Amino acid sequence: MIEVFLEWRFLTIAPCDAAEPWQLGSQDAATPIMQGIIDLHHDIFFFLILIFVFVSRMLVRALWHFHEQKNPIPQRIVHGTTIEIIRTIFPSIIPMFIAIPSFALLYSMDEVVVDPAITIKAIGHQWYRSYEYSDYNSSDEQSLTFDSYTIPEDDPELGQSRLLEVDNRVVVPAKTHLRMIVTPADVPHSWAVPSSGVKCDAVPGRSNQTSILVQREGVYYGQCSEIRGTNHAFTIVVEAVPLKDYGSRVSNQFILQTN
Amino acid sequence: MAAHKIAHATLKGPNVVKEICIGITLGILAGSVWKMHHWNEQKKTRAFYDMLEKGEISVIAAEE
Repeated sequence: MIEVFLEWRFLTIAPCDAAEPWQLGSQDAATPIMQGIIDLHHDIFFFLILIFVFVSRMLVRALWHFHEQKNPIPQRIVHGTTIEIIRTIFPSIIPMFIAIPSFALLYSMDEVVVDPAITIKAIGHQWYRSYEYSDYNSSDEQSLTFDSYTIPEDDPELGQSRLLEVDNRVVVPAKTHLRMIVTPADVPHSWAVPSSGVKCDAVPGRSNQTSILVQREGVYYGQCSEIRGTNHAFTIVVEAVPLKDYGSRVSNQFILQTN
Repeated sequence: MAAHKIAHATLKGPNVVKEICIGITLGILAGSVWKMHHWNEQKKTRAFYDMLEKGEISVIAAEE
């Protein structure tokens, strides 16, 4: 009963993989990394609640006990060695409990997948994205490339999200290890998809790499996370399809693009 | 000379150890409520992916 009340009052569960109005919590996790991030947040939040309730209780009780009218003469306590030792050591133990899962997640996020099935290059421009699929061409052929523009505010179809949809989505296979290589063509950008737990900066003159394993099929929305001009917040849309449909979807996309 | 006859309010302070213990207990109780919510969420997520794996549910819209 308490949980139902708390969920209604404080916690909004996002039903889809895009930002929701008045959303308070994270989007649903689509990758093991995002699930780890959410779990770490929950672990830290336990300590946050414990400390908040404890400190609030002490504050309220101090206000109650030392009310000016009930207790006009305050105690003249200068120091207490025992309590000072306890209140120094005990709070320093709490960050240790937080650090252990935090570092474990941090280093697991940096693990490089040795042999990803697919490599996709995301190139940031002002103000659109282009994606390259280079796995399917021999060295003298050009990579499969397409551009992805945000659909303007006055141009969406019924059911589309405002300023979140793009004309060409990044199609990836679900349950497959991917490598994303992120780089910009001009100014710094950032390729971010919250439900995948991915935020990879695109720094001029550098290619950054991130590994993703999307656990379920779906459409995942993100936005550029490095401010760079008037149309800064253009969107990233990743569509994860079953592996058996991936080939046909990608080839259809490139046929449409070339036409 | 009449000072000993003057009554003044003396502070009978709170029991600090008792207040700290009560505060920590309340904090742990509140944290436990949160933990139970967290474990419930994990259980729902695990059940979702189990059902998805077994094919009992699908996240792919049927072709019309």
